[in-house]
Order: sequence, then structure tokens, then C-alpha cells
Amino acid sequence: MFKGEIRKQSPKNLLLLFQILALLLLLAYEQMHADKMIFIMAMGLILIIYLSNYLLIKISSGDNYIFLIVTMLITIGIIVIYRIDEKLGIKQLTWISLGIFLFFLVYFMVKRLKKIDDWLYLYLVLAYLLFIITFAFGDRKFGAINWVSFRGFAFQPGEITKIVLIFLLASYYSNTEKWRHIKYSSYYIMGVVYSFIALLFLQKDLGTALVFYIIFASIQFIYEEDRKLILYNIGLFLGSGVLGYVLFDHVKIRFQAWLNPWIYIERQGYQITQSLFAIAEGGFFGKGLGMGHPDFVPVVYTDFIFSAICEEMGIFTGIGIVMLFMIFVYRGFKIAISQENRFYRILAIGISTLFGIQSFIILGGVLKMIPLTGLTLPFISYGGSSILSSFIALSILQICSEDMTSREDTDE
Amino acid sequence: MNKEIKRIIIILTVLCMTFISLIVYISYFQIFKASAIKNNSYNKRLWINEQTILRGSILDRNGNVLAYSEKEGDSYKRNYNYGSLYSHIVGYSYREYGKSGLELYYNNSLLNISDSTPINEIKNIVIPNTTGNNLVLTIDHNIQSRARSLIDGKKGSIVVMNPTTGEIYAMVSYPDFNISNLNENWKEISEDMESPLINRAIQGLYAPGSVFKVITAMAALENSSYETQYNCIGSEKIEGYVFKDYEGKAHGPIDLKGALVKSCNTYFINKSLEIGKDTIGKISERFFFNSRIPFDLPVKSSQFPYKEMTTDVEVAAASIGQGKVLVTPLNMALIASGIANEGEVVKPILVKEIVTKDGKVLKQSDIEILSQGINPLGANTIKDMMVEVVKSGTGVNAKIKNVTVAGKTGTAENSSGKNHAWFIGFAPADNPKVAVSIVLEEDGSTGGKAAAPLARDIMLYTIENIKD
Repeated sequence: MFKGEIRKQSPKNLLLLFQILALLLLLAYEQMHADKMIFIMAMGLILIIYLSNYLLIKISSGDNYIFLIVTMLITIGIIVIYRIDEKLGIKQLTWISLGIFLFFLVYFMVKRLKKIDDWLYLYLVLAYLLFIITFAFGDRKFGAINWVSFRGFAFQPGEITKIVLIFLLASYYSNTEKWRHIKYSSYYIMGVVYSFIALLFLQKDLGTALVFYIIFASIQFIYEEDRKLILYNIGLFLGSGVLGYVLFDHVKIRFQAWLNPWIYIERQGYQITQSLFAIAEGGFFGKGLGMGHPDFVPVVYTDFIFSAICEEMGIFTGIGIVMLFMIFVYRGFKIAISQENRFYRILAIGISTLFGIQSFIILGGVLKMIPLTGLTLPFISYGGSSILSSFIALSILQICSEDMTSREDTDE
Repeated sequence: MNKEIKRIIIILTVLCMTFISLIVYISYFQIFKASAIKNNSYNKRLWINEQTILRGSILDRNGNVLAYSEKEGDSYKRNYNYGSLYSHIVGYSYREYGKSGLELYYNNSLLNISDSTPINEIKNIVIPNTTGNNLVLTIDHNIQSRARSLIDGKKGSIVVMNPTTGEIYAMVSYPDFNISNLNENWKEISEDMESPLINRAIQGLYAPGSVFKVITAMAALENSSYETQYNCIGSEKIEGYVFKDYEGKAHGPIDLKGALVKSCNTYFINKSLEIGKDTIGKISERFFFNSRIPFDLPVKSSQFPYKEMTTDVEVAAASIGQGKVLVTPLNMALIASGIANEGEVVKPILVKEIVTKDGKVLKQSDIEILSQGINPLGANTIKDMMVEVVKSGTGVNAKIKNVTVAGKTGTAENSSGKNHAWFIGFAPADNPKVAVSIVLEEDGSTGGKAAAPLARDIMLYTIENIKD
């Protein structure tokens, strides 16, 4: 028993070492104008994370690794953001602290809620409500309407909608018996998801639209009994993709800038080529923190954070990040497989797919492997909405990693 | 395993594959594509070095400064001393228009940027580099100026080189442009129909016309087809297509030497089928047709696509340097050098040395034999024929008193309707010191009339003035 406890705790200590080394790196970069305040804040964050990990092992009987993986991602992210812009770095620290708080809050609240698999209509209404808010109060930023400003705080409702979508799908597919009496119910769900995608298209938020589609397609692939619907789904998607290319200029531009950004280098291809320059300059080992020029890449602290990481820390760190995401997704699916309760199982699949596909789309985009669509890199990019919603999703995944069937048995 | 778990694992596998593909792609990108992307002139990082490092100077073989940088406020300003004279060799380095010529291809040396290895990077952090290296060229400023004045107002290229060492003494392409004030006339230069930006000496592909006959003659020596006599009646019919000699003139009974001296088309056309396209192709490839000549600036590949020639007419036309044969002036200079140098083709050199600001030689270009174009005996046979060309044949205008000159003229038909005038040659024939290749693009005149006198002038000037 005691031995098992040590084994459980040791990765957490390794992580502590990792974070202290990272802090030293930051201090080495900052040596000229080292600020006591920053040091205290960073130590504070390390402490919060250490305690959270400690606490989590105590209170949660579930997976101990996903939070550790996320902490590594956060550490790399915050160093790079701080290096690009000190003020943003401090803001990001605040967001992360808030995120961890939210993580525990959601963890305790959602865990206590019963019958949340029954609230399909609530999720439906919530999702549309979030869209309505976006359209009614949305601002246009970087070409897409997905920001809502409220008393000086801007947030992206789309980040929350992703989680609501996963709840909606989980709620439907975990109660298929209940919905069987409605004919074509699966078609209705597909229609609902497509209406989301269409709305995202109108907001010009292509990245999120793609994330929605892939989450839906994955869950549908696993749980839909009407297999020909999956074919319809793929066909419809390809068809609407082609239609989108023909009808909408912003789709066409993205595609052309992907095919050959060098001829559009002054305009549409500017971002992606600047990103490629940064990655190419970094080489395998990077220029060293503070030695590169990530400031040449537009919106480097959100969508293009990976280019900055590659420039200064090399593609070895870049590959490390890809692997962290891969391990995270693997853990997520492992959680899903060992979860007996179908609702929580689907939630786990949905959330793992969300993190997996979102990181792939933006990483592939900044590398010019696939067309670029604006998305944040979960846990690494700067941004309140992205960090908070990611922690909410993580918290739900944490719940899913616990034995939910036994809980129900004892409760009832 | 039940169906659900199976499907979950399929989705997991797909996701993992996408991540692995990312890792593969990023590695591929870094290994194969990164270096080219880094050097794109839109990469602002290239110009950051420019503000902190004094770009090295470019000098000719005698120490004349062709380009140098000086401090102006916070950054450095690049100066070019000779206006348009070195527009194609030195090239330019402007923030607005990027880089060209040696300024582009020797950028790292000029800025003293080492290859990006971890050790070099650490070294650079400890001792930041502030001064670039100088380039010493093989160019002789006086010969370059002379060549430029000879071609002024015409169109084309002159290459003057040492046939035994490969050093380029002069390389002129005309029209050219003034590199010292690109800002004022960039639009004009870049839109000029005569394309002054192109370095014709290495990027221009021309029909060689009769200068190519030296290759065909070497091929004839190779397989003994030269032994039989031929009677020239002024025209030759191949598969119904009639080839004519210049102005339809009949040369009567003629051998290989006579055919080269009088530049008899029908002789080579008749023999070409006997020699065969493969033998001509093989010889031409030894002289770097269909492949890239290694050089300090990128050279276009000359073309002798003998594998694609399907009809006798095509082979016949190619044997006299018409049809599908295309050649760069530098390549022709290399052929002349090869014949002068007992068949050995030397690597052309433009940058002689890379020197640090303290005068330490970092890199020196050595003489390198690229290939044996033809055996020494054959080379001397062709040389004797080329001497006769200048003595009594089409190249008499290149004759120099007290110096034996070897040469070959060419008058190449092309799509413009106006012939290119060619001359290649070297002197003195018994101890070659200089080889030339001259092309006057769309000149309308013949090689013997238009190009040979220029060759005479530049060869004489070089022999009299060159210092080793």
C-alpha cells in the first residue's frame, strides 16, 4: 500500500523538477531585468500545480496522468508566452490559476450531478443559445466572428459549445433505446450537428467547424447502428466542402494559400510563410530562448505559438509536444475503454478526440501540412477562453476516469 | 472483443497516425526543405544580420574593390564601385529587391555566417561575429572593362578564361544594369524587354551553329568516319529535307580538316549519320552538355537531347549546331579550354579565395579536372584544324601577329530570323594562356565578320596584360 503510494507520487516529483528547470531557463533569459514579482508568481504557480497534483491523487480514484501531461504543456506554453510578451505571460498565469480552480470546481459539481445523461434538450438549447450570443454580440477578429466582449472581457462562446456538443452527443448515443420510438432520430441529431457546422461556417470559423465535424463523425462511427448514415455523413461533408470552396472566398483563399503560399507571400500567404521561416530557422535544437524572432510571426502567441516554440527550442521540443498530445489522447481513450458507464465513456471519447483533433489541425496548419485554419493549441496558446474551456474539458475527463457505475450503485 | 471497443480502438489508431504523420512531416521539413526556405529573401531574419555584421568586400584578382559596405547611421550601406560593369557577377543586395549573383550565392561567406551546428551557435553567442569575409575573384578588372567596351551596344556575352586553370578573367553579359542605384530604376530594369537581369553567360541558352562542329569533329575522330573523302556540291538531302552550305557554295572534294576550316555544313551532315547520334552525344556529354557545370553561380544545362532525336534530319541539324542543340556561352568557353588543354576540361572558377578581414585565407579554389573530353592526340588534331581556321578559313579576322590563334566561327540560325554570331578560340596555340567564347545575339552578321575581331582584340589584350 505504502509502496503503491510512492509510485503514484513520483511522476509528480519528476514534473516538479521539470518545472524548476523551466523556471531556471526563464530566469537565465531574464537575467538582465529579473523581477522579484515574476519569480514569486512563477513559484506560486509551481506550488499550485504541485498541490493540485497531490490533491488529485488523494481525492480522485481515477487517472493520475492526464493532469501531469497537461501541466507539462502549460509550462512550455507559459515560458514561450512570457518570452514573447511579459504582460501576456502574467495574464496567462492568472488564466491558468483560474483554470485550475475551475477544474476542481467543475470536478466536484459535475460529479455530484445525477441524470446529466438525460438532459439532451437542455444541451440543445444551450448550444443554440451560445450561437445566438455570438451572432448578437460578436466582434470580428482575425476574419472570424467568434469573440464576444462583455465589460472589457472578451471570450469565445465557441470554446464552450464544443463541450456542450460532446454532452449532447453523449446524451443521445447513451440512451438510444429511449429515442428509438422517434423515427429517424439519428437523422435529426445529424441535422442538428450540421446546423452547428453551418453556423460556424457563417462565422468563418472553419477550424472549429472541422473540430465539430470530426468529433461527431468519430462518435457516430462508434455508436451509430444505422451504418449507412455514416456514409451519408462523409458524402455530405465532402459535398459541402466542395460547395464551400466554390461559394465562399475565404475558403478558397485558405486553400490557395496552402497550395502555394510563396506566390501570395505579401498577403494571404504571409502568416504561413512567416511561420515556416521561424520553424526552419529553429533547426533541430532551436536558437535558444530569446535568440529567435518569433515577433515576426503574426498572432504568434495564440495560433502560431508552435512556430515560436520550434524557432527557439527546436523541433525536438516540437516533436515532444506532439508526443505529449499523443500520450494524452491515448490516456483519454484508455479511460473511455475502462469506463463502464456508456454516457461517461462517450464523454471521454469526445473530449480526447477534441484535444487530439484540435491540436492536429493547428499543428498541421502552421507546418503547412494541411490548410491553415485558426484554432488555439490547447493548454499552450495564450487566451482565457481557450485555457478555461480546456480545463473544464479536462475536469470532465478526470470524472470519466473514475468508476461511475459503482458510484451509482452505492448512491441508489 | 466487442464491436464498440474495436471501433474505439480504430478511432484511437487514426488519431495516433495523424500525430505520427506530424512528426514525420516536421522531420522531413527540417531535413530537406528548411535550408532553402531560410534563404528566401522575404525572411526578415536574413536582414537582421545585415544590420549587425559588416558585409565583406568583393575584390578582383589584383585587389580592386568592386563592392564594399560602410557604416551609415545604425546600419550598413552597400556600395558598388563600377555601376553596371559587374551587374551579373557581383549582383546586388538590396532589402527591397533581394539579392542576386555572388551577393546571393556567397551571402553566408560575406556575412561570415557558419553552418548552423550547435557548436557554431554556442561560439556565436560567446563571441558575436561583427565582420564578414572578403571574396577575391579571378576576374581581372581591366580585361572585364575591355570586354564590356567591346560588346557595348550589341547584345550577347563574352567569357574570357584561363584554359589550364579554369580561372575566369572576364564574364560580360549585355545588356546589363546599374547596380549602384537600383532604387531609381528598378521598374525600368525589371520590365525591360531585353531582360538585362539575365546573366547571358551562364543563363542564356543559344543555338551554337557551326561552333558546335568541333564537337562533331571530335566524334568523327572517335569512330574513324573521317577517313573517307567527301565531295561537297553545296547541298545535301536528308529524308527529303535539303540542307545548304552558307550561300549555297560548293566546296568540292573535302576532308574533315577542310570541312572545319571552311565550315562546310554538308560534310558534317553527311558524316553525322555515319558517326551516329550516340557518339556525338557521348562526346558532348563529356563536355557537360545535359548536365550542370559546377560553378560559383548557377549555370543552365546546355542541351544535346540525342536520346530524343528520332529522325535523321534532327541528328543532321544537330551535328551543325542547329535544331535541338542549345548551349551557354560559358559552356562553349569550357569546350575551347578543353581542346587547348589536351582534352582535359577544367572546372571554371570565379571566386579565387575567401579571406577574413585579417587576411587569413579561409578557402582557396584549386584547379580541378572535371573530365577528359577527348584524348590528347585527338585534342591536338582538332587544335591544328582550329589553327588553320584562323590562318586561312572563316576565322581570319581573329589573326594576331606573332601569335598562333586557334578558333572556330559560328553563325547560328534561330527563330528571331537574325543569326547569332559566334566565336570560340584560344591563344597562343602551342602554349594556351587564354580561351574565349563570344556570342552576339541576333546580330545578323556572321561569326567570322562580327565575333572574330572582338575575340582577336580581347585575346591580344589578355596575353599582353594578364599577371598570374
